[in-house]
Amino acid sequence: MAIQQGLVGVFIYLDDVLRAISKLNGGGITIKNVYSPVKSPEIIEAMEAKPSGIRPVSLIAGILGGCSGLALATYAHLRWNLITGGKPILPWIPWVVIFFEVLILIAVLSTVAALLIKGRIPRIHYGKGGYRPTFTGDRFGIEVYGGSSELGKARAIMKESGAEEIDEI
Amino acid sequence: MEAKSYQEVNEEILRTLGRPRMRFIITVSLLALGTLIGAACWAYQIAHGLGVAGYVHPVYWIIYLTNFIFWIGIGHSGTLISAVLYLFRAKWRTGISRSAEAMTIFCVFIAALFPVIHLGRSWIIYWLLPYPNQRTLWINFQSPLIFDVFAVSTYFTVSLLFWYVGLIPDLAVIRDRAKGIPRKIYGLFSLGWVGNHRQWHHYGTAYLILAGLATPLVLSVHSVVSWDFALIIVPGYHDTIFAPYFVDGAIHSGLAMVLILLIPLRKIYKFEKFITIKDLESMAKAMIVTGLFIGYCYGMELFMAWYSGNRFEKDMILIRLLGQYRISYYLAVICNIAAPLFFFSKRVRTNTKSLFTVALFVIVGMWLERYFIVLGPMAQDYDPYNWGSYFPQPVESLITFGSFCFFFFLFLLFAKFLPSVSIAESKEDMEPPIRLREEER
Repeated sequence: MAIQQGLVGVFIYLDDVLRAISKLNGGGITIKNVYSPVKSPEIIEAMEAKPSGIRPVSLIAGILGGCSGLALATYAHLRWNLITGGKPILPWIPWVVIFFEVLILIAVLSTVAALLIKGRIPRIHYGKGGYRPTFTGDRFGIEVYGGSSELGKARAIMKESGAEEIDEI
Repeated sequence: MEAKSYQEVNEEILRTLGRPRMRFIITVSLLALGTLIGAACWAYQIAHGLGVAGYVHPVYWIIYLTNFIFWIGIGHSGTLISAVLYLFRAKWRTGISRSAEAMTIFCVFIAALFPVIHLGRSWIIYWLLPYPNQRTLWINFQSPLIFDVFAVSTYFTVSLLFWYVGLIPDLAVIRDRAKGIPRKIYGLFSLGWVGNHRQWHHYGTAYLILAGLATPLVLSVHSVVSWDFALIIVPGYHDTIFAPYFVDGAIHSGLAMVLILLIPLRKIYKFEKFITIKDLESMAKAMIVTGLFIGYCYGMELFMAWYSGNRFEKDMILIRLLGQYRISYYLAVICNIAAPLFFFSKRVRTNTKSLFTVALFVIVGMWLERYFIVLGPMAQDYDPYNWGSYFPQPVESLITFGSFCFFFFLFLLFAKFLPSVSIAESKEDMEPPIRLREEER
């Protein structure tokens, strides 16, 4: 197996980053990561990201959560079937509250779990690879991997696009 | 916002995390002492029984219930500012959302303590959880008290996660600038965030969904709390208007508390760039609306007592207006409805001192409102033979004092160890660095 080496280009300006992404993609070079100090819709669009898979997870988990809240209430009232306040053993109307609260709770827990999985966090060795602490400051970064010819091409593209510095990984 | 670069935003906001000054240490120590006094009173109450809390038949738990509703209510504006205004893309929330969210968490946590305190045998609080015991006795899922357990625990969990998710990129900023043990601690809680395009993409979606899921909670939680009373067939409690009445009061008091916290914070940390007068003014405008709606609710209670023709309702209102607890009612009217009317003047709502003063009035007024709502109907219901008279005793008063100290204690610690303004959102509100623009300059 060929040893994969990498490069990380550090940029000051967003338009430089977008230009570099476009050229790297056009040159058939695979970009592994684009780092930015802020959420940038332009970068996400340039990377042609698909709609996040978190949305269906939240929806399905919420519905299942609400139903499981109702199921728990039904089971409990059937096990202890005492009429209270003249209401039926299975009083559906007050259980709207239980359904709603458990729906929200499970949907939120699932959303956070999906964020952790999709965002690949927590990660212990975050400092390895192309990450630089300046990326949480005011710098952008593009991380690419490949063979020596691809990296040579990538270096030239990044330099031409206005990279402040280019480091080997 | 006037900050020029992302780096400047980092520096300006992280400046607050420096070494604590002596004034800060003294203030935190005094608040810790106040908290300990409250905790000692609670221990005294456990040792001697609930009789020390001024209980007079048929008046029980008054201050504890008042505090429970009051603190839950205060927490509401945190969710309103962070989630609802996020969905509406209201720019003025950026500077204040982080502190408002933190306030929510502390308030809900303190509120959740009061049902434990008023139980007497606090150690059996877990009986409220839905689990089967050896006699297959289950909790009653149609009881509003169980609604409360679900609503408050959901609200606390959602608020905490929403706040924490918002904090993750900011914790990474601190991690990358810290050294030694703080770096390890912030690194642990930042979960190894690196801010790549994949993380930002999913983060944006998740945050939006969390905001969408938290939004209905603004309406639901205090509605559920209001049903603790509205579902009881006692005049003064059994009102259909209670849910919007409570929710509006919650937002009203929450906005006031945000002002009380942010005005000193803004001055001490020199956050004028991030928390602008315009942000504070927007909150004052919102308080005009919530104050007027409270006025409508007060008026509607009087109207319905007359219009319903229900003698007990009418008598309850007469007792409220003319009885022994009337002072709290009139003070609440002045503080909650009259005081925010001063915000119609631009001069008042753009002056931090007057904003702070009116907010203090509202906080006092909202506590008194919860007090007369809980106390009046419980002390004087259908049967005059059953009536009782209540006045707060030292134990519950000191526990209340302790809860306020605990709240400000937690908030000060938050402001010292975490960024009290969202770094990521402040950066999002700025124009990104563009080479062409720089060259034109």
